[in-house]
Amino acid sequence: MINLQPYSNPQYFLILLAALLPIIIGLYFGKRLKIYEALFTLVFLVLTFGGVKWQEGINLLLWLVFEFCLTFAYQHYRKQGKNKTSIFYLTVILAIIPLTVTKFMTTQPAGSVPFVVGFLGISYVTFKTVQVIMELRDGTIKQVDPGTYLRFLLFFPTISSGPIDRYRRFKQDYDKAPSRSDYITDMQYAVRYIFQGFLYKFIIGWFFGTLWLPKIEHQALAVGNMVGGLKLSWWVVAYMYCYSMYLFFDFAGYSLFAVGISYFMGIHTPMNFNQPFKSKNIKDFWNRWHITLSFWFRDFIYMRFTFWAMKKKLIKNRIRLSQASYLIDFLIMGFWHGLTWYYIVYGIYHALAIIINDIWLRFKRKHQKQIPHNKFTEAFAIFLTFHVVCFSFLIFSGFLSQLWFGWK
Amino acid sequence: MSNKRRLWQIFGPVICAIVLLIVVFQLPWERTFSKDAIFQAANSQTLTVFKGVKMKQEAYDDGYVPFYGSSELSRLDPMHPSVLAEAYHRNYRPFLLGGPGSQSLVQFIGMQGTSEQLKNKKAVVIISPQWFTKQGQNPAAFQMYYSPLETSIFILNAKNTVADRYAAKRILMMPGIKGVIKDGLQKVAAGKKLSDYDRFMLKRKLQVLKNEDTFFSSLQMRDRVQKIRQRAAKLPKRYSTAALTKIATETGEKHTTSNQFGIDNQFFRTRFNKQILKKLKGSQKHFNYVKSPEYSDFELMLSQFAKQGTNVEFIIPPVNSKWAKYTGLSEKMYQQSVRKIKYQLMSQGFYQIADLSKKGNKPYFMEDTIHLGWNGWIAVDKAVRSFMAQPDGHYNYKLKKYYFTKKWQNQTQVGSVNKKLVKSN
Repeated sequence: MINLQPYSNPQYFLILLAALLPIIIGLYFGKRLKIYEALFTLVFLVLTFGGVKWQEGINLLLWLVFEFCLTFAYQHYRKQGKNKTSIFYLTVILAIIPLTVTKFMTTQPAGSVPFVVGFLGISYVTFKTVQVIMELRDGTIKQVDPGTYLRFLLFFPTISSGPIDRYRRFKQDYDKAPSRSDYITDMQYAVRYIFQGFLYKFIIGWFFGTLWLPKIEHQALAVGNMVGGLKLSWWVVAYMYCYSMYLFFDFAGYSLFAVGISYFMGIHTPMNFNQPFKSKNIKDFWNRWHITLSFWFRDFIYMRFTFWAMKKKLIKNRIRLSQASYLIDFLIMGFWHGLTWYYIVYGIYHALAIIINDIWLRFKRKHQKQIPHNKFTEAFAIFLTFHVVCFSFLIFSGFLSQLWFGWK
Repeated sequence: MSNKRRLWQIFGPVICAIVLLIVVFQLPWERTFSKDAIFQAANSQTLTVFKGVKMKQEAYDDGYVPFYGSSELSRLDPMHPSVLAEAYHRNYRPFLLGGPGSQSLVQFIGMQGTSEQLKNKKAVVIISPQWFTKQGQNPAAFQMYYSPLETSIFILNAKNTVADRYAAKRILMMPGIKGVIKDGLQKVAAGKKLSDYDRFMLKRKLQVLKNEDTFFSSLQMRDRVQKIRQRAAKLPKRYSTAALTKIATETGEKHTTSNQFGIDNQFFRTRFNKQILKKLKGSQKHFNYVKSPEYSDFELMLSQFAKQGTNVEFIIPPVNSKWAKYTGLSEKMYQQSVRKIKYQLMSQGFYQIADLSKKGNKPYFMEDTIHLGWNGWIAVDKAVRSFMAQPDGHYNYKLKKYYFTKKWQNQTQVGSVNKKLVKSN
């Protein structure tokens, strides 16, 4: 049985585009071939989660059944006009249990868990489910249509690594076929995004990740072990830059593929990156880096916590409140990345960075006259932000753990 | 703008890109390398050359003889085979294949692309007992030397034989094998036939890799041409072992003043400090080269030679005796492994063996810890010179499947070989 990993090589794109052709022709003639699309999705899911990954496929099926029961049970409950907070909490906790268990299990030593845990992309589908449950609570979604919900969760281009779409936005695209002229524009973007993705992931990302990174890692470890102490050397700095570039080009390339393929299917999946290394401060950075994730965290963790704390009058001072929200927001993001010290430190580091950034912005607003603002200060801001971010990626990479403790 | 025009504007470039891709990757591009480029490649020990095919093929057709070995090949002192061949206008030039960490398995893969060129020709193998560790081929080094190009050639030519199945199994045990190559190897290992689809995909892959080799292998080669020519020019005009030995001994003397082991000064300075030296003392007491999967990997090389009918000279180098004493490496064990290697060779008809393994205490025989140098190279040359004087021709060997078994890998005692018995078989 063959197994294909999404967007992993050029052949994949040929197969994918061949399979997409009927959908593309259909949309060109103003028809959305829903049944074919469902079959197409099924075949590609089997290709992704079949063969050697069949256990993951089973996990995905179990997960789907569980989350479907949960979502529709909660919808049923809400339709009766009831809206207890405790039930809402319970539903959300249940919804994230599979993901939490997966995260926990994967940090266990290799071989101690006798079965395959989770599946590729479990995080992203969980985010989608939680978002729907929260919107049912808010009443912004009144009725989830099972067919659309299934398609939304399993929307093939984004299932493995996002971007994270929103149900209502998806449904709007999905319920109609675009006009011919609009669809041609969509295809224009799709081709552009996919080719930009090739450049990012397969060329630039290859240089940074496959060609240079292992060499730099090897040197940094060798020199580090020789100097002893904190084992630091210039190679660690080189690693930081190289890894940061790799991370961006690899992931941005991946996201571009997902968005490009979505556009071919007439779905405007939101963009995930917007020139993040041009950010002038950390807040700006999080509006440009892994956008759909950071917006999800903003809407469903930061804002929720802020409103809840305000309502409960936990923290009266607005500044303190936002700081606490940031800390919780990024701490959860850190834990989500994985239960290891460096992900958690990465979360705390970004929370502190954004808090300090806020303090500075307030200070700057108060002293507008004294603080110069020109091309040079802007360039400095970009330079500083870039380095703060790159250092966070060095933490995130786990390389320091490898260097100091010998494990990642 | 009409829709049709817009479609052309969007997909026209895509179609062009696909056509260009097919032209660049799938057309069989040809090119010949200059003699200088081949000479540079033969002495560069660059990974792309090792993993490539085109330059080796051209070189073997033009009087180069492969010297399969490992890190000793980079000891480019005045007595190095490449320098001597250049200085005395020999009828051959060495093509150096291997480097630190290369062992039988990667050498076997590296031989796949040149089986036609080496048919009834000659080859030299410097077979170090250090390859025969408990682990055999080091996986990290394998990844460095692994050639998808030559592995694809192997798969496409593989037959359902013990050797090919064993080779496929061994390669699959190494990291970094993927895609159609992995699928193909799995079939070869299981003794199954490749489907037409498998063959088609492998051939496409092969063409991409061949083109990559043709275009890019010659870029970024290490350039040692000047070094070799300079060293060759300094040697006496007429070949005489005595004169060369005098120069070798003098050079050796000059270069080993910093330590009591007879190790090259620069090597000693860059590799060791007091701490490392202290750690190394007695550290090799438990080294064992007698039991190793390498013996079966080595058999893969032999089976490849047998297939080609190649006439092979084997050179077994010693270790630096003073160094071995310091690190505690057992001479008895070393000789035991040498006996085992020689048994495997001679029992199958590979008789041309220069066993230098007992010469590790000769002055300036070794350039450092385990690598031949100066007088050692002269001893190599003595064997190589008479070997190269033999006429080319088809050599027959009598291979034994036993050498692919675990039992042989772990066998410690070997008998003596009756030459006549093997020959008359």
